[in-house]
Amino acid sequence: MKNKINIYLIEYAINSILRQKAKNFFIVFVFILLIFLLTSIFFITNSIKYELETTVDSLPQIIVQKIKAGRQYDIDENVVDQLIKIEGVKDVVSRVWGYYYFANAGVNFSIVGLNEYENQYKNSFKKIIQNVELEKGNTSFMVMGQGVQKVLNENYYDKYFNFIRPNGTLKKVNFAGTFDADTELESNDVIVVSKDTFRDIFDMDENKATDIVVKVSNPKEISMIASKIKLIYPDTRVITSDDLKVSYQNIFDYKSGVFLAIFIISLFTFFIIIYDKSSGLTSEEKREIGILKAIGWKIDDVLKEKFYESFIISSFSYIFGVGLSFIYVYIFHAPLLQNIFTGYSQLKTSFELPFIFDIQTLFLVFFLSVPSYIGATIIPSWRIATLEADEVIR
Amino acid sequence: MILSPEILAILILDFIFIFFAIIAFILSIKIFLGWDANSTTKKQYRLEKQSFLTAIIIKYIFIVKVPLFLFFIFTLDKMSNVIIGAMCAAGVVDATPYGIYLFIFKIMNLYFFGYWLVIHNEDIKYETQPYTRLKFGIFIGIFFLFIVELILEWLMFSSINIDKMVSCCGTLYSSSSTSSISIIFHINKTLLLSIFYGNFLFIYIFYLLRKKYLFVIANILFILTAISSLIVFFGTYIYELPTHHCPFCFLQSDYYYVGYLIYTLLFIGTFYGIITGFVEKSKGNKIENYKISVIFNFLYVILVSLYPIIFYIKNGVWL
Amino acid sequence: MIELKNITKIYGINTNNKVIALEDINLKIKEGELVVLRGASGSGKSTILSLIAALSKPSSGEVIVDNKRISKLQDNFASIYRRDNIGFVFQKYNLISTLSVKENIILPLVPLNLDVKDVEDKLSVVTKRFNIAHKENTIVRNLSGGEQQRVAIARANINNPKIILADEPTANLDEKLSLNFIDILKELKKLNKTIIIATHDPLFFGLDFVDRELKIHNGKIIS
Ligand SMILES: Nc1ncnc2c1ncn2[C@@H]1O[C@H](COP(=O)(O)OP(=O)(O)OP(=O)(O)O)[C@@H](O)[C@H]1O
Ligand SMILES: [Mg+2]
Repeated sequence: MKNKINIYLIEYAINSILRQKAKNFFIVFVFILLIFLLTSIFFITNSIKYELETTVDSLPQIIVQKIKAGRQYDIDENVVDQLIKIEGVKDVVSRVWGYYYFANAGVNFSIVGLNEYENQYKNSFKKIIQNVELEKGNTSFMVMGQGVQKVLNENYYDKYFNFIRPNGTLKKVNFAGTFDADTELESNDVIVVSKDTFRDIFDMDENKATDIVVKVSNPKEISMIASKIKLIYPDTRVITSDDLKVSYQNIFDYKSGVFLAIFIISLFTFFIIIYDKSSGLTSEEKREIGILKAIGWKIDDVLKEKFYESFIISSFSYIFGVGLSFIYVYIFHAPLLQNIFTGYSQLKTSFELPFIFDIQTLFLVFFLSVPSYIGATIIPSWRIATLEADEVIR
Repeated sequence: MILSPEILAILILDFIFIFFAIIAFILSIKIFLGWDANSTTKKQYRLEKQSFLTAIIIKYIFIVKVPLFLFFIFTLDKMSNVIIGAMCAAGVVDATPYGIYLFIFKIMNLYFFGYWLVIHNEDIKYETQPYTRLKFGIFIGIFFLFIVELILEWLMFSSINIDKMVSCCGTLYSSSSTSSISIIFHINKTLLLSIFYGNFLFIYIFYLLRKKYLFVIANILFILTAISSLIVFFGTYIYELPTHHCPFCFLQSDYYYVGYLIYTLLFIGTFYGIITGFVEKSKGNKIENYKISVIFNFLYVILVSLYPIIFYIKNGVWL
Repeated sequence: MIELKNITKIYGINTNNKVIALEDINLKIKEGELVVLRGASGSGKSTILSLIAALSKPSSGEVIVDNKRISKLQDNFASIYRRDNIGFVFQKYNLISTLSVKENIILPLVPLNLDVKDVEDKLSVVTKRFNIAHKENTIVRNLSGGEQQRVAIARANINNPKIILADEPTANLDEKLSLNFIDILKELKKLNKTIIIATHDPLFFGLDFVDRELKIHNGKIIS
């Protein structure tokens, strides 16, 4: 048995594909489109998943919020002192944060208030506090993510920003720099200010906080401690990081599930088209197969040639579709499609998809496309290959 | 049931397989019952044509099945991230009662499909097509095994429960485990290694002597001794951990996917070894098969032996 | 070398309009012989050629070539037999018009997976012998009728077959080209090939290098 690749047969197969340009062009075009869509969806979901996972991992283990009449209210800061006493709790920090709607640009910023001397509940904040030189006595400063800076610069704020208090007066806050965060989702829309500034901007009481985060020594005890907190403070909502993870994941799986379902339907439609296209034989094609068999091609040779054809078509479409999707997702950041998955991009500033190269995705798309395409051509090819050869002498 | 894209892809391909396998099955029965190489009737001509379709379908299934098997393991590995307690594919296989049988059937069917192709290639060499009835008869049997595999696959994927704790490979593959695998941990390591290397030596001797059936038996045994010694001894050197015996973890990227290479070598080596016993006619072919078998088994032995040797050179001690 | 034993060929055997194309034909052709089959249209000449080429199977009787019962060969082996033994020049040439001369001529070699050098060697032998080398890269569609026929003959000879079958080789040629073809025939005859020509062109009748003329009428050999 020779294992050498038969270049003459490949050449013949390519010629044969080109001879039926119209038909094959249509197939390749639709196939590329399908593969492109599918791969893009997987690339985007992979990136967002990664982004979410890093975000969720950096989220606090337990969040305690005060609930009144079903809505969230500011919580008393002295709850912190009570919570720290619970066994297994490593650290408790009160947070002040919220959203500020910047009407000029029509976007929401997330605003976080921090105190220098407190323990920070996020590593990225720790870095900010360390890096920014605070002018003594002047607490009126802000550090922002790059996305925010861009928006503000576009609106001619270069050195400071005027927040509008609830009562309509202005609060001038100076820029103290920008920061990088672990993930794009986080850094893009965040502004960090001091707690005092925050309370000033939003007119919040001295001894109140937005919520309280709890750090636990042993992650396995999270749910146990959460239920204890709920017992002590029945008027609170206690959220654990696991809850968040699951709900993020659900939204996400649901969306990609819908896409996959649509994809499968289009895939099957496509295969019916292929089956149909490759079954319908023109008399010219019939004559050609007759010639080949009459000059000594075996059924197996014709089958092999047909296999080469479908392999060339499907792998060409595969490579081309995947390549396009690479460019679309990672170079152009997937315009349009991304919005469907992130959903909230209208209000938030946009973020770039991190480059996650996952070989498995490539395999996955391969298995969904190439073998099924070749499968769809088996029976038509066999029909062709077993045609009677004596047609040619008439 | 977790409907991840990977599982969905596997199920879609399973669906295509079933469709084609049923066609091949029906044609196989027709050919098996109606084949008469000496007849010149229309019916015989039709059967001859149909035999081509059947053969190409079986080839197609096999060719897709091989890489799909690797993808399957890949998928299990990935699922192990989601399932609590599982560290690698072993935990996922263990997560349902079907896992282990599915695995056995998958591997068995790979050997069977491969064997079928060997008979087929032999058959189409001769104008008399001496094995045609035989090969399609065999496929009728393989078909049922294949269907069992697909059903098991379906059952396994639909019964996996993300929230249920499963055992991790650390407990599955240890001497304290209650599973049947644990027996091999009670065999003396030196003895096991001697059996393993001895087994390979016998393969080589039977190759030199061209003792067909002994060669086949030695190869079948080699599958068992190779995997046992891999779990008990060589695996620990791949992980560089004396307590980690899992035969799945080294399929992961942390170990540079070396597991795929290990198992591929073992499969090719033993497969060609086993088929030497079944293929009759052409002599040249058989010597080829002997050689391929010995070479790949040898490469396997070298590869797994390198791990402890390199470990010893680096650290100066055995685990 | 070629033997037809009690051959009957009936088309459309189970239908109303069944045609008895050949009836109880017995024929022996020796190696190196050149035989001309004459007969009117519809007499069954092409059918005889297709049976010898194993392109179709007789309704009864046997075709034996080189002691091999080729009338019973299974499809794949019939192809192998044709590939190794038969060069067929068809009435309509049966070239693939969008491929080049070279690609058409090497077509029988494509499944063999030969080395490039082997293929080129074989190619240059036949293109020189049949005087088509200068057009090697021309697309067949753009060739004249005579050139197309030379391509078809070159293709039929690329595997150096023992048997050449030609079906109405001069039907589409003018007189000058037809005489050209007769020269080619002489040359093939010198190479000791067994040649069978089906034709009703009077040009072939009474040629000195033709060994035998068989007259076919209504599916029977009458002389
Ligand atoms: N596939 C077929 N189905 C039905 N009838 C056929 C078929 N092929 C040939 N015939 C018939 O068989 C008879 C012999 O045909 P054949 O082609 O051998 O004649 P021919 O001598 O080659 O004629 P011509 O000179 O026209 O080529 C004709 O009556 C033709 O109509
Ligand atoms: Mg004719």
